[in-house]
Amino acid sequence: MRPVEFLRLSWRSIRGHRLRSTLTTLGVIIGVAAVIAFVTLGASLQAGVVGEFSPDDGRNVYGWAADPDVEGGPAAGAQPVFSEADLEAVEELEAVEAAYGYATVGTQAVSYDGEQVAQGDGLVASGPSYVREERLAEGRQFETGEREAVINPAAAGRFEENVSVGDELEVTLLGGATTTVEVVGITDTNEGLSPFEGFESAPRIYVPTDPYYAEQTDGLGIGGEGAGESARFLAIVIEAESADEEAIDRAREAAVGYLESDASDAGELMDDELAVTMQTSTELLAQLQDVLDLLQNFVVGIAAISLLVGSIGIANIMLVSVTERTREIGIMKAVGAQNRDVLGLFLAEAVILGVVGAIFGTALGLAAGYLGAWYIDLPLVYPLEYVALAIVVGVLVGIASGLYPAWRAARTDPIDALRYE
Amino acid sequence: MAESASAVALSGVRRIYHVGEPVYALDGVDLEIPRGSYTAIMGPSGSGKSTLMNLVGCLDTPTEGEVVVGGREVTGLDERERTRLRGEEVGFVFQTFNLMPRLSALENVALPGLFRGEDRATRRERAAALLERVGLAGRGDHLPNELSGGQRQRVAIARALVNDPALLLADEPTGNLDTDTGRNVLDLFDELHAAGNTVVMVTHEPHVAERAERIVHLLDGRIERIESVDAGDATGTERDATDAEGDATGTEGKD
Ligand SMILES: Nc1ncnc2c1ncn2[C@@H]1O[C@H](COP(=O)(O)OP(=O)(O)OP(=O)(O)O)[C@@H](O)[C@H]1O
Ligand SMILES: [Mg+2]
Repeated sequence: MRPVEFLRLSWRSIRGHRLRSTLTTLGVIIGVAAVIAFVTLGASLQAGVVGEFSPDDGRNVYGWAADPDVEGGPAAGAQPVFSEADLEAVEELEAVEAAYGYATVGTQAVSYDGEQVAQGDGLVASGPSYVREERLAEGRQFETGEREAVINPAAAGRFEENVSVGDELEVTLLGGATTTVEVVGITDTNEGLSPFEGFESAPRIYVPTDPYYAEQTDGLGIGGEGAGESARFLAIVIEAESADEEAIDRAREAAVGYLESDASDAGELMDDELAVTMQTSTELLAQLQDVLDLLQNFVVGIAAISLLVGSIGIANIMLVSVTERTREIGIMKAVGAQNRDVLGLFLAEAVILGVVGAIFGTALGLAAGYLGAWYIDLPLVYPLEYVALAIVVGVLVGIASGLYPAWRAARTDPIDALRYE
Repeated sequence: MAESASAVALSGVRRIYHVGEPVYALDGVDLEIPRGSYTAIMGPSGSGKSTLMNLVGCLDTPTEGEVVVGGREVTGLDERERTRLRGEEVGFVFQTFNLMPRLSALENVALPGLFRGEDRATRRERAAALLERVGLAGRGDHLPNELSGGQRQRVAIARALVNDPALLLADEPTGNLDTDTGRNVLDLFDELHAAGNTVVMVTHEPHVAERAERIVHLLDGRIERIESVDAGDATGTERDATDAEGDATGTEGKD
C-alpha cells in the first residue's frame, strides 16, 4: 500500500471524529505553542537586552555598592555612596586610568528649534570618556563642566529637522525646570554604550555629570547627606590601563580596596551590609546570559512536559479508537490488509494528529511570541529553525504515541475482530 | 495431483471452542470441493456452517486436522501468507455484510484493491463496474447506513468479487434479499460458476441450495450427508419459474 493512500484513509477517520481529533491535538498545540512562543520571546529578549552587542568598552569596569545578596542586573540594589572626592582619589590610583560617576537625570521632554518631543528616559550623565572616541561618528566628546552633550542618531532623528553638531537642545527636567545643552558630537550607534544603560536601541543624550547631575542633586537633595556636600553617585565607571585581564584585575582590586576602606567617603558611608561590585561588560553580559538561559531552559522544560501530556492524550485516544474500530480492523484484515497495513494506517493517523498539532501550535506560538515581543517593545526575531524543529517534534510525538496503539491494532485477530460487537 | 484438482480439501477438521465446556463447532469434517464446482452448505442454526466457511476462507485455523486451500496447507502458513491468500484468492461474503461504516459503497468495494497495491483509478473503475453488475450503479456514494439490507448485501458481494477470486465463499448471501434481488444474486453466482470459479454458499433455503451442483448437509459439526443435485433439472425449473414470473409482472404492469 502506498503512503499517500495511508494518509488519505487516516485523514478520513480523523475527519470522522472532528471534535475528538481537535481536542486530542490540543495538548500538542499548547505544548508546541508554548515552546515556540517562549523561544520567540526569548530570542527577541536576547536581541533586545544583549543584542548583537560585543563589548568594545574592554577596559571599562562598572561598579556599584549594594548588598552582596541582592541578585539582578547591573546596579541592582545600589546605594548612592560614591562621592566626587572618591572618584578623584580612585583616578589617582596607579592601576586606574580614569574614574567618573554614572547617573541618569530624569527628564520630561526635549525640544529643538521650538519643536518638543517627550523624553522620559532622561539624560545619561557621566565622564567624557564614557562616550569612546571610536563610537563618535561626528564631533567630539563632551567636556566636564560645560553644558555640552553627545547624542545618538536616534535622538538626532526625532525632530522634523535632524539635529546636527553645533545645535542647541532645550531639556525639560523632571521637576519642570529647563536647561540647555549644546550638541558637540553624534555617536554611530543607537544601542547603549554600557551595561548600565541596557543594550537596547533608544534615543539617548549623554552629558557630563558636572553640571547636570550636580545641579539635579542640589535641587532635590538626592544623594547629598546635607547641604553643601557634593553629589553621591549610585554607579561609577573606572578605566583600566588596558583591556587585558591583568590590567583590569589590578584596577578593580585597587579601586575596590580604596572604596571599601575607611579612607574613602564611600567606605565611611557603607556599613557592613554593603559591598562594592566591579565588573566588566563581558562579565555582566555573561551573567545576564546565564539568567536568560535559565529562564529559557525552565520554559522549555515546562513545554516539554506539556508535549508529553499531549502525546499521552494522543496515545489514549488512539487506544480508544483502536478498540472502537476493532470490527473495522477485522474487515480490513479479512479483505487482505496485512499487519503492516493496519499498523501504517493507525500510525499515520497519530502522526497526522501530531503534525497538525505542531503546525497549529507553531502558528499560535509565533503569534503569541510576536505579540508579546511587540507589546514589551522588543525587536522581532524569527527563530525559523524552531519551526522546522516543531514539525519534526510533531512527527516524533505522533510516532511515539501511535506506536503502541497501532501495534495493538495490527495484532488484532481478524476472526475475533469480526465477531466484536 | 489430487491437490491441484480440488480447490478446497478438509480432512479430520475439528474446531473446538473452550467456553467453560468445550464446544465442538466442527467435529471431524472431511470434505473435498473440486475446482470450478458449485457447493451449497445447509444445516440448522449452530451446526457449524459459518465456522466451516471461516476455516476455508483462511480467517480461522482448525484445532485439529488439515485445511488445504488452492493447493496450500493453511495451518502451516504464517499470518502474512494467510492474509495474502485471503486477499488474492478468496472472496468472502459475510453473513453480517461487514462493510466499513465510514466508507462509501464504492470505497468499500475498492478496499481489497487498496491492500493489493492497485492504483486509485483502476480500483475505482473496477469497483464501479461491479456495483453496476450487482444493480447498484447509482449508489456508489452512499454510506452503508444509507442503504437497505439487500443493497448492503449486494455491496458485500461486489466487494467479494473485486479481486477476481478463484474461490467465492458466501454465507447466506440471499438471507436478506427479496426473491427478485435474491435471484439476481444467484444468477450472478451462476455466471461466476460458469466462468470457472469455485463457489461455496451457505443457505437455509432448499430452493436456493438446489441451484448448486451438490448440497453438503451439516449437523452438530459433522457432515450428515452430501446430496448431488441433477444440475440440468434443478436450474432448468428455476429458470422456467423466473421467466413465468417475469411475464406475469409484465402483464400486471400493462393492466
Ligand atoms: N467464538 C466462539 N466461541 C464459542 N463458541 C462459538 C464461537 N463461534 C461459534 N461458536 C459455536 O460454534 C457453533 C457453530 O457456530 P456457527 O457460527 O458455525 O453456526 P452456523 O451454522 O453458522 O449457525 P447460523 O445458521 O445460525 O449462522 C455454535 O454452537 C456456536 O455457539
Ligand atoms: Mg452462520
